[in-house]
Amino acid sequence: MSTAVDDDLWSAIGDPTRRRMLDLILADGGSTATTLSGRLPVTRQAVAKHLVVLSRVGLVQVTPAGRERRYQVDQTQLARAAAQLADVGSAWDGRLRRIKTIAEAIQRTHEPNSTDNQVKE
Amino acid sequence: MEHGTIEREIHVDASPEVVFEVVSSAEHIKEWWSDDAACDPVPGGTGELVFGNRQTGTVAAFTVVDVDPPRLFSFRWCYETGEVPVAGNSLLVTFELVASGPGTTVRVSESGWRELGWEVAVLEDAYQDHSQGWGHFVPLLEGYVARLVAAS
Repeated sequence: MSTAVDDDLWSAIGDPTRRRMLDLILADGGSTATTLSGRLPVTRQAVAKHLVVLSRVGLVQVTPAGRERRYQVDQTQLARAAAQLADVGSAWDGRLRRIKTIAEAIQRTHEPNSTDNQVKE
Repeated sequence: MEHGTIEREIHVDASPEVVFEVVSSAEHIKEWWSDDAACDPVPGGTGELVFGNRQTGTVAAFTVVDVDPPRLFSFRWCYETGEVPVAGNSLLVTFELVASGPGTTVRVSESGWRELGWEVAVLEDAYQDHSQGWGHFVPLLEGYVARLVAAS
């Protein structure tokens, strides 16, 4: 396994917009830049650039479809990327969830009357 | 975006002041991350994350980079013992807290993976406890991969 490929794969999948694009392509079983840009808050041009990055690391495969190109997720490469990403990303998800629980518990102790909204006369 | 950065975000129904205390004080770090912790939350201050117990477990050092309560807290970790942590030999963790209504949007990023290489990702795996959460992307992938396996 080449380190260079891993670095590129990591940086390709480390971007939230590109992860959302992969989600959408997966959900639809394939998509085009036009369709994706209609469902994301970015321009078609930006989507096209992200697709180039994803394609370069082999996360999506391109087939011509009329005047457009159709993108599909490469299953093997995606599974590989997911395994690498899951280790680190899920650790932070867990930590953030615990931060949320602790901070909200402290906040509630700061506001003992927050559930009592009655105005005293 | 810097290559090799993990970014996560969560909304917390607590003030930025409260959240800042939770992310930066040893008392709370040992609740949400490690089994024990030490932290001197000033720029250049050092800290420790203890996984397991001090004798038989793992102790990871970190060094505080920026402290701007209740808005910003960052530190570097995953560097070799004795090294001064800088870009290229460590991971930079940054907590940004933004007031959002009565609560706080918490953004965490961990950068430097590209420079540090993949070995650390494997080490990190050992630090994870059993109550991890999962993002949106990963469970979707899991289901997808499970279907692939079932279909093959």
